[in-house]
Amino acid sequence: MAIEPGEWGYATDFADVNGQVAICGVGDSDMSKASGRTTTEIVGQAVERALADAGLEPTDIDGLMYSPMPEQFGVAAFHEYFGTSHDIWESKRGGGTVGAATAPYHAAEALRDGRATYVLNTFGVAWATQRGEMTGGPGEAHAQDLFKQNLEIPLGWFPQPVYFATIARRHMHDFGTTEEQLGAIAVACRRHANLNPEAVMHEKPLSMERYLASPKFVDPFRKEDCCLISDGGGAYIMTTPERAADAPKRPAIVAGLGMGNAYTGTHWAQQPAFTSTPSVFSAPAAFSMAGLTPADVDLFTCYDPFTIVTLMQIEDSGFCEKGAGGEFVAGDTLHYDSGKLAHNTHGGMLSHAYVLGISHVVEVVRQLRGEAAAQVADCEVGVYGGYTGPQGSTLVLTKG
Amino acid sequence: MTASTPKPKVKTDETSHRVEGHITRSTFPLPDVTWPYTAEFWAAADRHELRIPVCDTCGRYRWYPKATCLYCDGEPYSWSEVSGRGTLFSWVVVAHPFLPQFADMVPYVPALVALEEDPAVRVPTRMVDCDPADLTFDMPVTVTFREIAFTGVDGSVTAPLFVPA
Repeated sequence: MAIEPGEWGYATDFADVNGQVAICGVGDSDMSKASGRTTTEIVGQAVERALADAGLEPTDIDGLMYSPMPEQFGVAAFHEYFGTSHDIWESKRGGGTVGAATAPYHAAEALRDGRATYVLNTFGVAWATQRGEMTGGPGEAHAQDLFKQNLEIPLGWFPQPVYFATIARRHMHDFGTTEEQLGAIAVACRRHANLNPEAVMHEKPLSMERYLASPKFVDPFRKEDCCLISDGGGAYIMTTPERAADAPKRPAIVAGLGMGNAYTGTHWAQQPAFTSTPSVFSAPAAFSMAGLTPADVDLFTCYDPFTIVTLMQIEDSGFCEKGAGGEFVAGDTLHYDSGKLAHNTHGGMLSHAYVLGISHVVEVVRQLRGEAAAQVADCEVGVYGGYTGPQGSTLVLTKG
Repeated sequence: MTASTPKPKVKTDETSHRVEGHITRSTFPLPDVTWPYTAEFWAAADRHELRIPVCDTCGRYRWYPKATCLYCDGEPYSWSEVSGRGTLFSWVVVAHPFLPQFADMVPYVPALVALEEDPAVRVPTRMVDCDPADLTFDMPVTVTFREIAFTGVDGSVTAPLFVPA
């Protein structure tokens, strides 16, 4: 792979899977701060709920997707949890983060060639419980990178709040983005959490005044710009649209998906497009596959570790011009009842739970069915934007 | 420019740049000055020189010093001394110690400095000897070599920090 200076990423070449996969069941676990639960207990609970939602038994699941991260719910864990022993196809190209958007691509292949009929995708973490043992909490995955250990961490450039506050400050300089505009994202997510009894921050309101009065612990970030650290997980079940037509609940149809990749990986300091995400590459691919445009979208959920990541994904996914994100999100734009671009209507990782995006997809499905806590009126097209840094992904779901 | 660097004696795939599990190295978060990919960076800093690798094949800076050049797929590279002058690309003011070893550092100002020789090369560093309120985007800055040490960790290492020029 040789590139020109300034080139920084590309879209994965995906074949068209529009209309080939339906999500017929969703579930998430109880969401909490440190709870003493194990990851397996958390995911198992989410799976039980997804099965009940889909009207299926554990033995109906013959495909299982999860992420390569530690402690995830593989076939052995599934069988132990449910006391089953049947053959299950499995793939580690699912889970949360970017995989929560692109799992349906790999499920489509398995459904098409008969390897599976009902494919379960899960993700969960017990990071609130485990936080004390981890090096820099969720920063541990970055501390494990030896370039970071030897070129970034000794200088204090660690962990994620520092990376993204650095990006936010440059975004403010390049585009005039303000603290109030970042605050509008945090306030919208909190309002949605206040409406959602499942959200960790359900009882904690956040006004703009309160946001601005909060100390900047990683200037320019306040703690309200940063996601929670949580115990929780989620699951969704995929099948063909034909089978999903018989499910108890209205299915959501996978209309388009895409994956974008950054050559610099998680070495954000060296990313040429410093204030962009790989959604620049994934979103056009996903919308093209779906035959839709950002203007058609009623709900945009996205992986929101920090307010600035939401702002960049809104720009990079095409909801506004690059650099205009601050003005775009100001005011009530992102609120579920604004009639503009409803965003993270369950509260997101900022205010629902830091379960790395899996609950975002669960929320999109609930919105398309009309059963969400903060229900968007006439929600027909919902999008999830996944993000890890090295990758960004886009999933376009439509009402079945 | 120094003689061509011997290829680091570790695997060149992405996974070999990582360790698994909790970080157990007793000198963390000091750098491991023996890690082949960055040993020359820290040896140079100890001599009060800022050195950045240059690809032997295409002549572009290779930062970070990975086994293969992103621009030409070339492998050999050489460490080249740079002026230590640059501009302040971005920075943050950290009031919360994210590691217990950072406890005596707060507040501190981690920053990215774009090098004069090639602004696409951004050096992670810390701004010192300045009031954070006086920092401005793209202001000229210059390297200074200081001992860094961390709470509860034995030893110190000479590191390239930056000050306003």
